[in-house]
Amino acid sequence: MILYLLRRVFLLAFVFIALSILAFSLGYLFPGDPLQNFTGLRTISAEQLPLLIAEYRMDQGYIQQYLGYLQRIISGDWGLSFASQQLLLVEIKMLLPATLELAAYALLISFFVGIPLGIIAAIKPDGVLSKAISALALTGYSLPIFWWALLLIMVFSLWLGWLPTAGRIGVLYEIPYQTGFMLIDILLAQSQYQQEALFNALRHLLLPTLVLATFPTTVMIRFTRDSMLEVWEQSYIKTARAKGLSRSQVLYRHGLRNALLPVTRQIGLQFSTLITLAMITEVIFSWPGIGRWLIDSIYQRNFPAIQSGLLIISTLVITVNMLTEVLHTLFNPLARKR
Amino acid sequence: MAQFGVISAELLARSPARQLWRDFSAQHSAVAGLVLFSAFFLLAVLSPLLTPHDPYLQNDTLLLLAPSWSELGQVQYPLGTDDLGRDIFSRLLIGSRYSFGIAVITVVGALLMGLLLGTLAGMSRGVKSSVFNHILDLALTIPSLLLAIIIVAILGPGLLNTTWAIMLALLPQFVHGIRNAIAEQLNQDYVIAYRLDGANNWQIFSRIVLPNIWEKLTLMATMALSTAILDIAALGFLGLGAQTPTAEWGAMMADSLDLIYLAPSGVAMAGLLVFLAVLSVNLVGDGLRNAVKKRRDS
Amino acid sequence: MKTLTGQAWCRLKTAGSTVMLCSMLTLSACQPQLPEAVRSGLVYCSEGSPESFNPQLVTSGTTIDAISQQLYDRLLDIDAQTGELKPGLASNWQVSSDGKVYHFSLQSDVQFHHTEYFRPSRALNADDVVFTFNRIMQKQHPFHYQGGGNYPFFQSVDWAGLVANVSAEQPLLVRFELNRPDSSFLSNLATDFAAILSAEYGKQLLQSGQLQRIDSHPVGTGPFRFREYQKDVLIRYYRHNDYWREPAKPEQLVFDIVPNNARRMAKLFTHECDVVAFPRIAELELISKRADVDVQESTAMNIGFWAFNTAKAPFNQVKVRQALAMAINRDAILQAVYFGHATAANSVLPPTSWAYNANLEPLKYDPAQAKALLAEAGYPNGFSMDIWAMPVQRLYNPNALKMAELMQADLAQIGIRASVVSYEWNTFRRKLGDNEHDSVLIGWSADNADPDNFFRPLLSCSAAQTGSNRANWCDENFDRLISQALLTADQKQRRSYYMAAQQYLSEQMPLLSIAHSQRFQALNSQINGVQINPYGGIALAGASKEAK
Repeated sequence: MILYLLRRVFLLAFVFIALSILAFSLGYLFPGDPLQNFTGLRTISAEQLPLLIAEYRMDQGYIQQYLGYLQRIISGDWGLSFASQQLLLVEIKMLLPATLELAAYALLISFFVGIPLGIIAAIKPDGVLSKAISALALTGYSLPIFWWALLLIMVFSLWLGWLPTAGRIGVLYEIPYQTGFMLIDILLAQSQYQQEALFNALRHLLLPTLVLATFPTTVMIRFTRDSMLEVWEQSYIKTARAKGLSRSQVLYRHGLRNALLPVTRQIGLQFSTLITLAMITEVIFSWPGIGRWLIDSIYQRNFPAIQSGLLIISTLVITVNMLTEVLHTLFNPLARKR
Repeated sequence: MAQFGVISAELLARSPARQLWRDFSAQHSAVAGLVLFSAFFLLAVLSPLLTPHDPYLQNDTLLLLAPSWSELGQVQYPLGTDDLGRDIFSRLLIGSRYSFGIAVITVVGALLMGLLLGTLAGMSRGVKSSVFNHILDLALTIPSLLLAIIIVAILGPGLLNTTWAIMLALLPQFVHGIRNAIAEQLNQDYVIAYRLDGANNWQIFSRIVLPNIWEKLTLMATMALSTAILDIAALGFLGLGAQTPTAEWGAMMADSLDLIYLAPSGVAMAGLLVFLAVLSVNLVGDGLRNAVKKRRDS
Repeated sequence: MKTLTGQAWCRLKTAGSTVMLCSMLTLSACQPQLPEAVRSGLVYCSEGSPESFNPQLVTSGTTIDAISQQLYDRLLDIDAQTGELKPGLASNWQVSSDGKVYHFSLQSDVQFHHTEYFRPSRALNADDVVFTFNRIMQKQHPFHYQGGGNYPFFQSVDWAGLVANVSAEQPLLVRFELNRPDSSFLSNLATDFAAILSAEYGKQLLQSGQLQRIDSHPVGTGPFRFREYQKDVLIRYYRHNDYWREPAKPEQLVFDIVPNNARRMAKLFTHECDVVAFPRIAELELISKRADVDVQESTAMNIGFWAFNTAKAPFNQVKVRQALAMAINRDAILQAVYFGHATAANSVLPPTSWAYNANLEPLKYDPAQAKALLAEAGYPNGFSMDIWAMPVQRLYNPNALKMAELMQADLAQIGIRASVVSYEWNTFRRKLGDNEHDSVLIGWSADNADPDNFFRPLLSCSAAQTGSNRANWCDENFDRLISQALLTADQKQRRSYYMAAQQYLSEQMPLLSIAHSQRFQALNSQINGVQINPYGGIALAGASKEAK
């Protein structure tokens, strides 16, 4: 087990190095002056130039430059954004929690809706209910998320006027930034309108979460159902049934546990999909998260921001993936042998 | 199987492909999906002949014409015109070339590249293969759309760049799937027997492995196709893929978003087509999957 | 990561139950009792981010709307109805007989904003006014080069050449000394650009070495004080409770920055925005059908026109220019391009200007006479020409290309073969500056109510040299008229000069005035007390929400 963990840690380190090399080389791959791409300064004056060249080791070889880059990344100096001329790390710290918050709620919905529906669909694979769930899952699976989001906005915001179309909270509520997670920040803020603010934030949260949760939920339904049906074919289930246990008893005692094990592995995979879909959701709902920021940066050719945005998102995705894999292995001794 | 009485059951059992088709066609949803899929495919090929108007021709006298079912519409413009007087129906038809046609090309390209790399990975062993596999696993954890966005960020927006980006983004899953399928085949007793008979790698690959993995390839291709359609449309919608005035469905949706109050049908129709295209692919994929499973089980 | 999942679990439980609760609440349309800052707060959805929080540094209307009237006061103000000057921070003012020395007495007890970053120790006095204008005029002023050292509005009126000295004679008395009389001087002081800053705040910033904060963390005397700015997201102001006039009604004012037109409309319909800037003309009909939304319009001080390159043949002939002007069906243009939301222009000046010449003979649409005039000028069979159409949408011309196509058809009737030319905006302006055009569809938005602002930058000889005179027209008679108008302070006399100038223009026809477009704003019908100011930025201090 320790060997396994060590191997994983080693792999993670390898991955980060590969990622940082990629991010570093982007400074050269992007159009424009590499020094501007690294520093994020829009204009570099003549007196600044020699200082910066020395600081960024531009006069030395690529390997020296890369090591300098790595050092800066680790020490938290990620350069400036072309657009706002602010520190990138500060901007990312402001934006990332918004994305994580949205993704976390969507992920939870996908679990608490997807798994039960998947199980129900597996109980009687040929029943009407099961067919309906499967059809629903297939529909949800095929929905282009941006179209779905627009349809929901058209119905619930513009037509019925029930829900807001954009943002995390009504702009009149001033919630000071503390953790970046809106609901926590509201609870931490000692304001007189805590309850109303919470209510308002939830109304803003409802549609984006629903939109974002659609795809992972349907994946979850399909995965759980298939996993259950597969377990159903295993010999130990057949043995249990032969012993005279009813279908639901077998399902509960033997099937569920074994079927849900691979589901835990899904967290990681779902998370990465979620982050991508969150980018689109954020654009449509004007959600001030890292995805919308990254896409805006691509429009604005804000190369330093693209560089660090990619680094942070890939790191996040890969770390979560690796962690869930380790967790999965922890719970499932069979997987350790691989 | 009474309805297939013309062909004897014996004959059917002999050919795996026919058996697969029998299991596939027994599913209504799958057949419906296939019909829809074929329709999209034909549309992508024939759309220049079918469009009633030039999809890029601006007509200043007919701006924002209502669809023909409304009192204000005209029969010649079934879905009305956009804010530059272009026929929406023609634009949607021609859009199938970009959103659907390019997705097919992308998947075929990725499949061929994946076959090459996956075979090399599957047939080789040792440290090289281990490093390769780790990198592959890494690339697999990043979703295709994110990977495509990264690549577009480097290459710059545009339809051609999107095609390359999605092709590259789809590659890891093909390589991974093909490698595993080949590795599985290589462990089979009949491969070892064939090898003992003196067959070389190429013979093993072309005579045994390839015929045995084509089902998996098709399944992978359908899954990749639905991803590719969604990704092309998503990138177009975000303004990173096809650029205006290209009549790509995602880009058209982004365009008509500005007119959502005056002409909501523009947003609705383009999105509906993307949805239907993806649905048809998924229906076919699901049908195939079930049929393969059934055949294996029997 | 484990703990994070734990937190997420807890949050889901609360979120789950509250989502149920809130969807139930929305369905029953039951609104919770809102606190004052939210209930009376006003949300203005603007079309873009401000460039700076100091109006001296900018010209863009977006920035002016967001900052000028909310954060600052000026020495003088413009009456929104009459367009006349009225007291602002200066309660009264005197001009010397030679028109070169101005004295302004300041209001007493005008308080500056009390914010997190600045606590004023005194009320407004003459030092603040001196500080404000010296920053613009004196290159050695510590703040002069802060923000680039460009003061576009003040440079365009040659402020540095006009004003010799600004000094504080008494604590509440300021003296302006000019190099020459200029009757537009007071109007320029009343523009949104001439906001009064705090000298005490400047001193504090000098001591702490944070000079750049003067333009990013503003302190003024206006009805609202600055609270926060998130770039491309929002600007938050709170009420300035010690405001020297009647305090603002909203306790909070938020500028929600929404560049996308469709999104701004969506936010209006869902009541996320109370007031929306620049609704699209094409959608006005749709908006006005809704009961919960009102549309306001006002004639803004602008002019859309068709300028002929008078240095080129055949446009150097008055008769040709008159013929061309007569051939255009302006009513059709008003309908198709402005959707009827503009007034036909008879003069360069809008009818709301005090110098407007109401006696001008309206120009008739008369193709037959136009043809006759062409023949008299020696072109019985017409000729070929270009119409340059600007590629961008502006208030004064929402669709120049469409307008050009309409005019093309009109001109064909009198035998003129016109072709429409357009380039990318920057190229367009560069080529225009080089006078490569035959004729061009463009326009002008005024910075202040003074008529000079329409004549001098558009049609004077000096403007022809700097390239802003699109008609490339330099006429001694006209230049004499508008220069004389500036040298006198007597409004009656000035008016007679401008009347004559307009009469002369309508005879010479260096350009065809097409329309004065209205400016629009859509707002929630519960909002009262918001009006569009035709002379500058929007004022929101008087807005109140009337809960139904």
